[in-house]
Amino acid sequence: MTVPTRPQPASRRTSPLTQEYVLLGVIAAEIAFFAVVGENFFTAANAFEIIRLGTEVGLLALALTPVIIAGGIDLSVGSLMGLSAVVLGLLWRDGRWPLPLAALATLGLGWLAGWCNGWLVTRLKLPPLIVTLGTFSLFRGLAEGLTGGVETFTAFPASFLFLGQGYLPGGIPAQFPLLVLAAAGVAWMLHRAPLGQELIAIGLAPEGARFAGIDVAGRLRWVYTLCGLSASIAALVYVAHLGQAKADAGTGYELMAITAVVLGGTSITGGQGSAGGTLLGLAAIATVQNGLRLAAWPAELAGILIGGVLLVTMTLSRLRLQLGGRSLAAEGGGALARELWHVSNGQVAALCGTILLAALLVALSQQRLARELARGPAPAVGNLAQGGASADGLKSGAPSAAALGARVAAGSRPLVVAMMPKSKGNAYFIACRRGAEEAAAELGIELIWDGPTETDPAKQNEIVEAWITRGVDVIAVAVENRQGLSSVLRKARQRGIRVLTWDADAEADARDFLVNQATPEGIGTSLMDQAARVLGGAGEFAIITASLTAANQIEWQKHIEARRAARYPQIRLATVRPCDDLQGRAFEEATTILRAYPQVKLIMAICSPAVPGAAEAVKQARRDDVKVIGLGLPNDNKPYVHAGITDCVILWNTMDLGYLTVWAARNLCAGTLRPGVTEMPAGRLGRVAVAQDQVLLGQPLVFTRENIDQYDF
Amino acid sequence: MAVPEKHRHRWLVRYRHEVALGVGYLLLLVWLAVWRPAFFQPAQLQAVLVSAAPMLVVCVGMTLVILARQIDIAVGSLFSVCGVAVGLLARGGWPMPLAGLAAVGLGTAVGAFQGWLVAYVGLPAIVVTLAMMVILREGLRWWRQGEFVRDLPTDFQWFGFSQEQGQLALVAIALGCFVLVACGLRWLAAGRAVYATGGDPHAAFLAGMRPRRVTLAVFSLLGGLTGLAAVLHTVRFAMVDPAAGQGLELQAIAAVVLGGVAISGGRGTLVGPLLGVFLLATLKPALVFLGAAAHWDKALQGAIILAAVAASRLQTSHAAAATPARGRQP
Repeated sequence: MTVPTRPQPASRRTSPLTQEYVLLGVIAAEIAFFAVVGENFFTAANAFEIIRLGTEVGLLALALTPVIIAGGIDLSVGSLMGLSAVVLGLLWRDGRWPLPLAALATLGLGWLAGWCNGWLVTRLKLPPLIVTLGTFSLFRGLAEGLTGGVETFTAFPASFLFLGQGYLPGGIPAQFPLLVLAAAGVAWMLHRAPLGQELIAIGLAPEGARFAGIDVAGRLRWVYTLCGLSASIAALVYVAHLGQAKADAGTGYELMAITAVVLGGTSITGGQGSAGGTLLGLAAIATVQNGLRLAAWPAELAGILIGGVLLVTMTLSRLRLQLGGRSLAAEGGGALARELWHVSNGQVAALCGTILLAALLVALSQQRLARELARGPAPAVGNLAQGGASADGLKSGAPSAAALGARVAAGSRPLVVAMMPKSKGNAYFIACRRGAEEAAAELGIELIWDGPTETDPAKQNEIVEAWITRGVDVIAVAVENRQGLSSVLRKARQRGIRVLTWDADAEADARDFLVNQATPEGIGTSLMDQAARVLGGAGEFAIITASLTAANQIEWQKHIEARRAARYPQIRLATVRPCDDLQGRAFEEATTILRAYPQVKLIMAICSPAVPGAAEAVKQARRDDVKVIGLGLPNDNKPYVHAGITDCVILWNTMDLGYLTVWAARNLCAGTLRPGVTEMPAGRLGRVAVAQDQVLLGQPLVFTRENIDQYDF
Repeated sequence: MAVPEKHRHRWLVRYRHEVALGVGYLLLLVWLAVWRPAFFQPAQLQAVLVSAAPMLVVCVGMTLVILARQIDIAVGSLFSVCGVAVGLLARGGWPMPLAGLAAVGLGTAVGAFQGWLVAYVGLPAIVVTLAMMVILREGLRWWRQGEFVRDLPTDFQWFGFSQEQGQLALVAIALGCFVLVACGLRWLAAGRAVYATGGDPHAAFLAGMRPRRVTLAVFSLLGGLTGLAAVLHTVRFAMVDPAAGQGLELQAIAAVVLGGVAISGGRGTLVGPLLGVFLLATLKPALVFLGAAAHWDKALQGAIILAAVAASRLQTSHAAAATPARGRQP
């Protein structure tokens, strides 16, 4: 889709190696940089971790490479992953098919879906961007429709989970051979088989390829089919990796995969590209993401860096191409080769320089590491050395409380507490962070705060894996998907890291303690009680949720419904609408609900951006008879509560939740929080009750017109 | 005025896609009128109009870019950035018109940068805008941490007008943009240059136009219009949601494509996207009125896009059966 401003047939001819050299330099620089600033970055185990986490996107990117070389695109692969995961779960659990058969059927589905894309593109001659934009919505929509967005399939047998979580001898992750196989297959197809040349011809000029006797439609159908098949394989790996199958599997993966392909030097307009380049592009992206986590730098930087690298490498190779073109125009065809060779030489020199620099930096960092080792044992070493010696009656495998306790007391090296929200960029968790930082400052703890920046349920696992590699003392997680994360948290505990959960729990054996702000049941019950109070015991209400697939929202709705059925049979739930966690969408949904269901007298918004959105809708519709209640932050809702539109907002003190979690982490290491205690100290909160394996924050607060101004978060 | 039979027929052929879409839209409205007459209360129609206005402004710009054989998938992120910018400026004491203009300027600047990369550096548009999308989105998240912009001055919402006046102004501005650009595209030399560039940039160059400048201009215009749309969207609320533009790019492209604008450039009108915007904006509340379960929304939307595009394709191949086939497959 570029504007060929100076149309020269030769300007297309460029060595596909160019971008790969630039990329190699970039990767070398990344590795060198993160080896210095990241902890435990430059290790074999971490390299395998990077591969493991990159497998799903890698499979998609590899399959997309031939499609893009042939001048097409497939936006639907991520959505197809969601559909495949759901179909696998449905067939296996509800259809009672044996798992291998269900997996095979899933692959068949991917094949079919890819073939459909190809058929629409070739038979109806529709632009691939449009076709796959349509199937992008369609596949995800089917997945959500089939499960109601709600259902999650779990409890897959261990032999299947091995595919995503297991290790082969030598610490090689189980999905590694799959990725190698796929890479080899695609590389053979593109660079050894005639198909590769044919795809390039199709990408450059489909009509010309047809006149040259190539079966254009057949070849295109084949690459799209392959893409679909690959998406369903990626879905299997993804399900095995997370241990759950849900409609939101693979959200946003298509863009990551396309980015990797384009970064790898494949021309988005077709006619040029290589499998090796795609792998390099993938490596460049995965390394940045992993390195930033190990360096405990904000994850948002990854996006900015990847975007920047994409622009810079593309510009570099483009400039080089223009140089080559100009010399060609001036000196004739023979000069092109010389020019290419000349530039390549320069690049080789630059590459060597970068690698040398990298080696130097690595050496420096090793020296620093050695110094650190000499100064005092690193945490992992300390655990190994003292774990056996401690005899204070703790479970074996847990790190020595004495060792950590001594460190807390002596303050020799600050405790490293890694804390993860469900997502970054959410006002709720910003308030938690403020509390956590307050406690960390009081206690002299090094706090790492990181979380997913996108709505991908696999991201939390990646971050925990990175923290395990980095070697932190305590991991505290607000769990987004219980099943999926528990296996990783168990792994963290095996490695001697203390694990807390906060905000939402994992499975009980995957963590030491839960910092419990309120149970889903408590939230659902008090929301429903408030609703009944506002409605006067009878009437209709509507719910606005964040999304139909979010686990916590589903849980709350379940308890709201249970409470309604048990206590308030006169009240009826009119409808449930999702708002994608957006104020604007919540506004529009609420506006429509007010008109479509005029008998609704109460809107219950159970995600924080939706409460002001719904209140604004009621205000603009001038419906004095309708009230809004919901879960939200006081600051967002003050104007509406004072205007009498929002009756009340329910939430616990989120700042205190963050504060308490850091205190619990510190107490866990100091030994003042252990099984059997009934209370623990928590700074300005005084002594906080502990019940069995839960630290209790207290009751949720109800913010009304009377008390809302007392809170500032 | 009697239009000769032949001419009327040609008009139908030329705008067959728009006509088909219009008929489809009409059928949906008739269906709604029969089954859910409540949909046609004035307040509901007004709500559809107001909520579609910012989308329409983005789609006007997107149509230009797609007509010029380019694409921009950074509009969603830019939309969020401009919305936050206008909120922060207003809170910082800038008068609203100035803050709005600044947001439009910011959008134009980002759009021009993208246009420069595409036209003068020669990078593919989808790559440039993919990179910008990620950079802007993550940059905004890093900077604001997802916090709403609150405590806005009283003259922020509806530019300080009353709600009715504000809504009227919003729709008027959006329709004004639409009419201006539509007329310019039809009757100005600059508008025809967009078609020429999209149809065949080399031929346009040989015909004395400057495809690079056209490319730069359409990207800048889309950036500016995105900024304007962000202003129109944010003034509807009392606080600014920094995620407001999430997913906007795909919705905008879907609406434009639904409106019959060829993704391969050079073919299409602005009337089609107008209908596309209103069809999608009507469909969502219509589903609520019809009581459909929210799970099926996405599947339905995808199916409609596919069906519309496939239908128009079949129709085109019927109509084009007599004429020589177009050479280039997009």
